[in-house]
Amino acid sequence: MSVVPMKRVMICALKKDRKAILEYLQRQGVMEIRAFMEEDDTFRRQDTESARQLFMKNSELAAQALSVLDKHSQEEKGLLSSLEGRKSISAKEYYERLEDRDEVRGICREIVSLEKEYADDKAQIPKLELEKISLTPWLSYDLPIDFEGTKQVAAMAGTLPGALTKEEILAQLSENTEGLETLEVEVISSDKEQTCVLILCLRESEETVREALRKMNFAKPPLSNKNPAKEIEAIERKIDALTADAAAVDKKLSMLGSERSRIRFMQDYFGMRGEKYEALGELGQSDNVFVLNGYMPASEVSRIEKELTEKYDIVYETADPAPDEDVPVLLKNGPLAQPLESVVESYALPGRGERDPSSLVAVFYYILFGIMLGDAGYGLILMLFTGIALKKFKDMEPGTKGMMQMLFYCGISTTIMGFVFGSFFGDAVSVIASTFFGRDDIAFKALWFEPIDKPMKMMVFSFALGIIHIFTGLGAKLYADIKDGHVMDGIYDVVTWYLLVGGAIVYMLTSKTMTDMLGLTFTLPAIVGKIAVGCVIAGAAGIVLMSGRSSRSIGKRAAKGLYNLYGATSYLSDILSYSRLLALGLAATVISSVFNLLAGMLGKGHGVIGVILFIVIFLIGHILNFAINALGAYVHTNRLTYVEFFGKFYDGGGRRFEPFRLNTKYYKVRE
Amino acid sequence: MDTNNIGLFFALAGAAIAAFMAGAGSAIGVGRAGQAAAGAVSEDPSLFVRVLILQLLPGTQGIYGLLIAFLTLMNIGIMGGSGDISLTEGLLYLAACLPMGIVGFFSAIGQSGASVAAIQLVTKDPSQFGRSMIFPVMVETYAILALLISILSIFGIPGLGL
Repeated sequence: MSVVPMKRVMICALKKDRKAILEYLQRQGVMEIRAFMEEDDTFRRQDTESARQLFMKNSELAAQALSVLDKHSQEEKGLLSSLEGRKSISAKEYYERLEDRDEVRGICREIVSLEKEYADDKAQIPKLELEKISLTPWLSYDLPIDFEGTKQVAAMAGTLPGALTKEEILAQLSENTEGLETLEVEVISSDKEQTCVLILCLRESEETVREALRKMNFAKPPLSNKNPAKEIEAIERKIDALTADAAAVDKKLSMLGSERSRIRFMQDYFGMRGEKYEALGELGQSDNVFVLNGYMPASEVSRIEKELTEKYDIVYETADPAPDEDVPVLLKNGPLAQPLESVVESYALPGRGERDPSSLVAVFYYILFGIMLGDAGYGLILMLFTGIALKKFKDMEPGTKGMMQMLFYCGISTTIMGFVFGSFFGDAVSVIASTFFGRDDIAFKALWFEPIDKPMKMMVFSFALGIIHIFTGLGAKLYADIKDGHVMDGIYDVVTWYLLVGGAIVYMLTSKTMTDMLGLTFTLPAIVGKIAVGCVIAGAAGIVLMSGRSSRSIGKRAAKGLYNLYGATSYLSDILSYSRLLALGLAATVISSVFNLLAGMLGKGHGVIGVILFIVIFLIGHILNFAINALGAYVHTNRLTYVEFFGKFYDGGGRRFEPFRLNTKYYKVRE
Repeated sequence: MDTNNIGLFFALAGAAIAAFMAGAGSAIGVGRAGQAAAGAVSEDPSLFVRVLILQLLPGTQGIYGLLIAFLTLMNIGIMGGSGDISLTEGLLYLAACLPMGIVGFFSAIGQSGASVAAIQLVTKDPSQFGRSMIFPVMVETYAILALLISILSIFGIPGLGL
């Protein structure tokens, strides 16, 4: 129906009741706590930031532990589990579950440190594998790789680029060492990348040989002081140990999966405590009393007062918010409009002094959606699925529930439009009748007409609906102006447009060419045309003269007025925009007819196989078509609402009502 | 070659242009938006459904193109019928298919840019989903207008008796 009226509430109570009162308010979730008061000598605000952070850290620890568990242990989840909503537990169970919070926190820490161990193990393995690979060419070398020789003989192990034989190395070496003869070269392994060699020479010629080797790009072997075979074995043992450890940790973590529900509870609990401390920081506190300020829906004020005064010694004062106050916005609507609050909210909540447009949106939203999807079969599917989901998952979160309800109503409207425009899975009825029963006389008849036969008629209907939609938007502005006592503004800003746009449309209907083109059966008499022209002129004059009235200077005012008159073109494009009703409606029906045709072509005269083929193509085709067109209908209905409709009267800009409540993810507590 | 059937060829060419140009545009558009969507999901998997919807928005042009192509095929008798189309009629069908093909191609690509930006917006602030959807949908208006002209033309041609 409207924006819920809010009251400013002040609660003053004894400090000993502080915890109980705050927890009560948090469970009720009807009050947004705000620190209106300035600090003074008596009332101070308590700095709760560090305590809050501590709770939040614990909550995050639990969240982290849960995400670790998700990696290591699969949880059995139904496909539709996201619809289930938060689990509700009793207050008694809530306090029972609190008992073991330290233990659960310990488990969380353990999980996080296990994950670290697991990640470390996993990170070391590739490093070791690399080492192993670099050692493999040295496998047949039976000395420690860093062996440097004896007193007399220098040993140099290393690699040379490319595949080389002993003779080639010797030849290159002797070239670079001017024919040094006491050299021993042993090729350990050789592939096309590198050749591993051991070179022995006398100590005294070591420098010359090293110099020669440097010229040949001799590189050092992998770092190790063991014999390669042993080293590889050691690495393999290490890898095995790490793999085994990681597997053990993984197993431990997957065993801990059973702790999920306790950890989830902790995440909620600490998050809740954190938020309570945040609220606590907003209170004014003296030595013995505290003061709590905030907003509350007017309808809740007396109930909360009664329940609080029964239990505690408090002072409870309410006041109306000042007109210029930034009051948070909460919407409340009847069952049909309520699911559309989220559509309104994703545009913007009503700003100061604005009315809730949800009910007006609802009048058109379902109709527009219905026309764009426009198929009785698709409508029934939509109703069936959302209806079952709503029935089966009672605890669904409000957001999801609203969406489901919206789609359910959209489904009803789609079904009705399907009957009106004669579409049931496209032309499935007549295709099945003629393919399998040889009856060409059975069809799903339209109650009104079939857009595919009379596209012009459908287009005129779309435009007419668009004009009504746009004029309703303008009307909402007029209504608001009158209600708020700005009658003249309403006349200048709305009535002038009614005259201009309405007059222009009526004038068009007096022209024979126009009505013929639109396929209308009537043409308005010329006298009506004259009156219409008068209206157009009056409207245009009104716009030019009055729409710039906020400017003082005459020149500026006239310029503004003319500019606003130019805005008439936007009405043209707004109305044309409604042609999407025809286009999307036709797209849905024609494509489903095409799938029916394909299915019918394959199904005809092939007996049982034909029937199976028919069903397969029919299902695939219609699932695809349904998904694409339902999405299209949804986004384009939103567009018509946001751009064409809201553009006429609605600005928004309000702030959402954020009550102090149990803001949990997994559990909710029953009173 | 039987020159009597040249009309049929032009009509079929029209259907082909509508299907392939609009389809190609949508393929490019959905592909681009898909890359952005995958990036968004890599940051926050819970955004999947929302970014999927935004990714699909440039995909509708392909469907409209298909629609026009099918309407043409049905009218010219390729999907069961005589296939008796005069040269004038064939050229008219070709002309009727052009708006959908050409506008479909460019609008799908243009729309993909808006979709990518909308996906980035949703990644930064998931609560803006409702508004972010509107930007790509603005582009689609022009594809719908083209679709409308193509549909009205195709429905109108048989009545001309040419």
